Amino acid sequence: MAAPLLSCWESWGLPSLHESLTVMAYAKFSGAPLTVNTINNSWRAPKGDMPVLVSEDTVISQPAKILNFLRKQKYNADYELSAKQGADTLAYIALLEEKLLPALLHTFWIEAENYCSVTKPWFASRIAFPLSLYVPGKMSREALNRILLTKGGPPLYSLTEVEAQIYRDAKECLNLLSKRLGTSQFFFGDTPTTLDAFVFGFLAPIYKVCFPRVQLQEHLKQLPNLCRFCDDILTCYFRLTVSDGR
Amino acid sequence: AEPWPENAALYQQLKDEQILLSDNASSLAVQAFLQMCNLPVRVICRANAEYMSPSGKVPFIHVGNQVVSELGPIVQFVKAKGHSLSDGLDEVQKAEMKAYMELVNNMLLTAELYLQWCDDVTVEEITHPRYGSPYPWPLNRILSYQKQWEVRRKMKAIGWAGKTLEQVLEDVDQCCHALSQRLGTQPYFFNKPTELDALVFGHLFTILTTQLITDELSEKVKNYSNLTAFCRRIEQQYFGGQEKESPTTAAPPAKKKSLLR
Repeated sequence: MAAPLLSCWESWGLPSLHESLTVMAYAKFSGAPLTVNTINNSWRAPKGDMPVLVSEDTVISQPAKILNFLRKQKYNADYELSAKQGADTLAYIALLEEKLLPALLHTFWIEAENYCSVTKPWFASRIAFPLSLYVPGKMSREALNRILLTKGGPPLYSLTEVEAQIYRDAKECLNLLSKRLGTSQFFFGDTPTTLDAFVFGFLAPIYKVCFPRVQLQEHLKQLPNLCRFCDDILTCYFRLTVSDGR
Repeated sequence: AEPWPENAALYQQLKDEQILLSDNASSLAVQAFLQMCNLPVRVICRANAEYMSPSGKVPFIHVGNQVVSELGPIVQFVKAKGHSLSDGLDEVQKAEMKAYMELVNNMLLTAELYLQWCDDVTVEEITHPRYGSPYPWPLNRILSYQKQWEVRRKMKAIGWAGKTLEQVLEDVDQCCHALSQRLGTQPYFFNKPTELDALVFGHLFTILTTQLITDELSEKVKNYSNLTAFCRRIEQQYFGGQEKESPTTAAPPAKKKSLLR
């Protein structure tokens, strides 16, 4: 089989963004050959559905589905896990999605200073004109919509109250991950697995992107084991030197 | 620990003709949690429970002069009063417990909401008649559609709107598989009962005992014998005394009949 082609965003001194990063990390961990195609000046991304994997005649989006596809191709990073560890993986991914994702979306797409000075110009420069005028705003509205619909509602009436709550949740989630990781190199010992790919996908953007408003980054930097975890993966698997990138 | 008032009450919708799968599961989870803490509450059924709740969600408890809704906040509230089930766990176990609780919320609860508000047959046959039951026409229809619209918007925002029923059932199976593997042969998820056990019991027991259009959902749970045994054990231990049949009267016989068309 020819190496599947992964289309994704390239960004900020990171190999890619949140979800694409999860897929790329998993591919590195499992040894799956991927040809990575970074999006530049694209007409193809009006839905912002990245990453997309194309293998022969199948097209797959969403990280969970791509990972399943790679597993079926015998690129499995979880061979050595026990059944219980497999269950833990699913549970921690749910924790990330429920508790960390809303704050991550907020930092990128809703916090006005971050959005105007970093996220919007960056995305606009990767998308062909005139889509570049429209797509970033659409992605921002979708993020806001998701946060309000899932985390809003009584008794949190104003956006400020919802924000306070999602950042509280996110910081608690980071603390839980830090406690769970402890002093070991990866979440299940010495070799990286699916869970490590997901955690890395969520943490690396928080850790590396230089935003004007950095609530989460400040909190993450107080948890040395999680920072070490990100640095290790970036240096060992992506051959990046550890420096703050924009 | 502060004393627990004798007149503490838990509010939910009417058991026989109104309450839906997801609300019943959440209510049962809170009841199980309070039973495990040995804090008695009287269960009060009100047709307008949803509108009485401070968060718009059931169940909620009324203790002294305070009103608290949903399992998470109730666990916090009870903890502030000096009762906790998870104090004995170490930090890693606490992280694990929270992760599994999010798994149940993220997959089982969302699947229940999907089934009752996005599966067209279930919506027509069960959800609309039950949800609107306390109100006269046309209010019953209006309120049902309003709620349906709200839930569907949420499903769309989290990317569940495009899923088929088969995919949702597949997710439920994956979640049950994980819970079953984690539980193994132990009586509880950790050495002693915690809020995770209450939450899992609330959802699985409700799924097992509620008659829907088809048995597909309960069949998924029944494939895991340790999970069904877990439900039976908690039912007997914490709800056995009150009534012979089951926890709260919200459970099998009455409910089955009422949901059978």
